[in-house]
Amino acid sequence: MGLLTRLVVGVTGALACAAGAHAADWDLALDVRAIDSDGRTSFLDNGLGKFRFDEDHEGIRLGRLRAAWTQPLGEVFAAHVDASTWDGDDKNPIDLTEAYLEYKPYPRAGWRSRVRLGAFYPPWSLESRAIGWETPYTITPSAIGSWIGEEIRTIGLEGQFDWLGTRRGQSFDFQFTAAVFGWNDPAGTMLADHGFALHDRQTTLFGRAGSVQTDPTKPKKELFHEIDDRPGYYVGVQARYLDRAVLNVLHYDNRGDPQAQSPELRDMAWKTRFDAVALRIETGREWTLLLQAIQGDTAIDPFQLLLWDFDSQSAMVAKRWGRHLLAVRYDAFEIEFNEHPRWAGSEDGHAWTAAWSFERDDHWRFALEWLRVESNVPARAADFGEPPFATETKIEVSARYTLHGNF
Amino acid sequence: MPSSSQHLIQSTVDHAVRVLLCALLCGAAGSASGANLVVNVLERDGKPLAGAVITAEPESAPSSAAPPVKAIMDQVNLAFLPDVLVIPVHSTVQFPNSDAVGHQVYSFSRARQFQLPLYRGKPYPPVQFDQPGVITLGCNIHDNMIGYIIVTAAPWFGRSDARGTWEAHELPAGKFRVRVWHPLLNEPQQLERSVHLDSDGTIEFRLAKPLRPAPLSGRPRSWDY
Repeated sequence: MGLLTRLVVGVTGALACAAGAHAADWDLALDVRAIDSDGRTSFLDNGLGKFRFDEDHEGIRLGRLRAAWTQPLGEVFAAHVDASTWDGDDKNPIDLTEAYLEYKPYPRAGWRSRVRLGAFYPPWSLESRAIGWETPYTITPSAIGSWIGEEIRTIGLEGQFDWLGTRRGQSFDFQFTAAVFGWNDPAGTMLADHGFALHDRQTTLFGRAGSVQTDPTKPKKELFHEIDDRPGYYVGVQARYLDRAVLNVLHYDNRGDPQAQSPELRDMAWKTRFDAVALRIETGREWTLLLQAIQGDTAIDPFQLLLWDFDSQSAMVAKRWGRHLLAVRYDAFEIEFNEHPRWAGSEDGHAWTAAWSFERDDHWRFALEWLRVESNVPARAADFGEPPFATETKIEVSARYTLHGNF
Repeated sequence: MPSSSQHLIQSTVDHAVRVLLCALLCGAAGSASGANLVVNVLERDGKPLAGAVITAEPESAPSSAAPPVKAIMDQVNLAFLPDVLVIPVHSTVQFPNSDAVGHQVYSFSRARQFQLPLYRGKPYPPVQFDQPGVITLGCNIHDNMIGYIIVTAAPWFGRSDARGTWEAHELPAGKFRVRVWHPLLNEPQQLERSVHLDSDGTIEFRLAKPLRPAPLSGRPRSWDY
């Protein structure tokens, strides 16, 4: 925690020192929602519902308030901080989702390197391609995207090499990524706690996630801590065909020591590993096909090894007409707990999402989304005496206003 | 963008005047009147290919390049404008940035390597291009931006129109090497051909392979930040 705080202070300090040398870019965005939901009590509110906005959270709600700042530092360095608030339930009224320093020298003979130091998302998602790590296709990201936003953050050092073949008259570019990170040992807690969910609430670096624990003295979980003093890593490859097709493959392992405990956090180091693959194809007629799949496991060993296998797949088709975008997505997800199939932790489900969005200009974006999740979660019966199977439906309208500028 | 067009028009006018002068002088010297060259470029399926860069260079006698020009390669809506710029050797190109966001322009092409550190507006002097070749431009911030500058030593050059046609007028008689280039070409070899001009001549290039897909455009600014 101390080191992470120092890192953030360092990035902010560097930003302050460099202000004025180069013009900084900033964004400020307010996203307001109107909700109609029959969702079960939300995973954010002691329940096992799959939505951020359940049947008790209908009406007009804050979607997200976001402020971001990118400051060039000299010619090839830049710092980026991204801060957001989603609701009034978090530890801090506004908090960081990402904060990093970037070194991106000019390409030489077709090769380019990039180094990032700080807190950021692994460069895997082909869905979260818009500013603020949002998806431009729907309001709610896929089950995989929702989970990564909730639990995964690289807090460490990442290096990339790009082969820029398209700058040499070829049709392909390649990117190779490797990172070493810490402070993400609780990753996996949420999957075991409430399973997959479909929501756009990204956990902030110093914020909290998941449900309030039944023990009122226990706070919500904090996910960005180092517990076992063992760094994790990921390696990834990206292949691009012109600007039409992108394939991303990532292997992630936080190398958690499943026996390491943190009494202060009332959590353990979760050993979380996954392989993820994503393919996005775009046509000249503005059709997009996006396929994503993830498979992995997470484990703790408090007295015996408890292991949760998880996997999820997602397929989306989108069509853009000028400023209008229509998207339809199917998600499937599954968690298998090794100890007892009826115990908390196992689940399977699937979801359909249909969304229309309209980017009126650089400032206004309006979106309408219909989302239905069907899930079978044995813990609903075990913990709450409810039927394990639930169908939840939500209709959400979003109006987002963004201001951009530089100084 | 208007200034870019002005420069292009200026360069075309300069070139036309030069070609006309050459024709007049040749006529005064009692040579045969010049020939007209028509080049048609067709895609594999027979559709005309617009925007192909075509150059014509005498093979038999040493020729001088067209006089250098001052051209502009603008950056508008996260794209280079024009996407392809053809200039004679020793020309200069200004790279203004008309976007609100900063760009960082680079080329590591053999014919000209340069970098313009992150900027907005027009802070840098023009860049001079002294070697013929294809220069691929990129932005180190926005990887989807791609543009091309074709630097040519050929006295006659231009781009095919919507009918896939380019015409050069009043060429002296002789043997010419005609080359065709396009950013989306997928051909295994360079497209070039020799043509002997005694009088007017027409040559046709037909691509052996389909073009590569054109870059996507018109994305909202918030994508791929």
